[in-house]
Amino acid sequence: MALSALIWIIIIVISLLVILLIYYFNRFIVLGNRIDNSLSQIDVQLRKRADLVPNLINTVKGYAKHEKGIMKEVTEARKALLSAKTFEKRAKAGAELQSALKSIFAVAEGYPDLKANQNFLHLQQELAAIEDKIAYSRQFYNDSILSYNNATKVFPGVVFASLYGKKPKPYLEIPQETKAVPKVEF
Amino acid sequence: MDRLSFHDQIRNNKIKSLALIIVIFIFFLILGYIISIILDPGFFFIIMIISIVFSISYILISYYNSDKIALASVKAKPASRTQHRKFYHAAEGMSLASGLPMPKLYVMESKQINAFASGRSPEHAVICVTSGCLEKLDKQELEGVIAHEMSHIANFDIRYMTLTAVMIGMISIIAQIFLRSLWFSSTRDKDNKAGAILLLIGILFAILAPIVTQLVSLSISRKREYLADSTAVKFTRYPPGLKKALQKIKDEHTTKEEMHKTPKAVAPLFISDPFKRKISGLFATHPPIDSRISRLGRM
Repeated sequence: MALSALIWIIIIVISLLVILLIYYFNRFIVLGNRIDNSLSQIDVQLRKRADLVPNLINTVKGYAKHEKGIMKEVTEARKALLSAKTFEKRAKAGAELQSALKSIFAVAEGYPDLKANQNFLHLQQELAAIEDKIAYSRQFYNDSILSYNNATKVFPGVVFASLYGKKPKPYLEIPQETKAVPKVEF
Repeated sequence: MDRLSFHDQIRNNKIKSLALIIVIFIFFLILGYIISIILDPGFFFIIMIISIVFSISYILISYYNSDKIALASVKAKPASRTQHRKFYHAAEGMSLASGLPMPKLYVMESKQINAFASGRSPEHAVICVTSGCLEKLDKQELEGVIAHEMSHIANFDIRYMTLTAVMIGMISIIAQIFLRSLWFSSTRDKDNKAGAILLLIGILFAILAPIVTQLVSLSISRKREYLADSTAVKFTRYPPGLKKALQKIKDEHTTKEEMHKTPKAVAPLFISDPFKRKISGLFATHPPIDSRISRLGRM
């Protein structure tokens, strides 16, 4: 009688352990996938931005032929973005492209015809929207990192994390040149 | 606090949706039972089978089409990517910020600033805004409003809210039809006893239907709106956006004609009460807009 009770206790403990092992394994997978997915969302937006550049250059060329320096800067930043192999390099090139685009739009202020061009306006809106989307996907990426890191550090998750070799992941730093101050209106 | 209650809210909504479906199912069975007693007890089995089939198909149709019914009831049209670019940009941004799939976007013709979300799950969700919303709100305000709707989607409010609106809304219509047909049939009825029972049920319906509709719609909104407001801020990280949008909603004047475009049953779905009723407390579908604004101000 006592023996069979002992066997039952062992069976229950083992099955609880197995359930916990499976639960935490899946949890880390789900949280990890969310991080990967949000990273690829940022990537998608970076590429979309690069895709709009040739069209923008063509439009600007028609009105501001003399601004060769800036256009070259943009074209090179785009090339760097497309040829970057790692995500870190792509994110850095993306930030450079963004600041180059900013100077194009600053230059455009001096060309009223360009500013009134429908295609130019459209591209300007699209690029502004992409900038917002990159900021939002970056925010979600960091949120995902936060939940992942919390899961690896909080007890009892920390035990399973070390068992599965899951380490906290670094946050995405905002590159210096794109740290824009949000506009506050009162 | 919000973070903790988020998962509870999802479970809560799923349980409530299921409970609603069961209540509706039982309601139709009782209705069938009453009808069979009144008509002729001999028809009992046939009528019960009919009412079971009817209630199951009623539930299935409203479960899978509740969003379409809600959209059709306000005559919403799909938003076009070229015409409503601002709407698409804001919604895509919010979908990225919340990590939710991109909902289908709709626009309804109305000068009033308002919006609602519907659907049965985040994968089958729609967001509908008024044309006034797109005209009068700037980018940040629109993002705030869409983030608010996104949080209704994220915590499955949309499933329970839309199911309630559609199921209860249709029942109250059926009840009205039933009631009207009773007035006409009971006068011609030869059997006085049956006629009296019918009349009694009819009167009971007339009293109960609006009360039930009212009470159920109360259980929908209010607390959810505060939660959705704070989750919206978690998505945008910019409380003034939604705050200014609510302020604009509060300040705008709506004509009577604008209000009548929205059926009463779907009112709780909207970000703010389309009827602009001044009542607060037990019979309000939304919390007072002032207290929502001040809560956002404190974030």
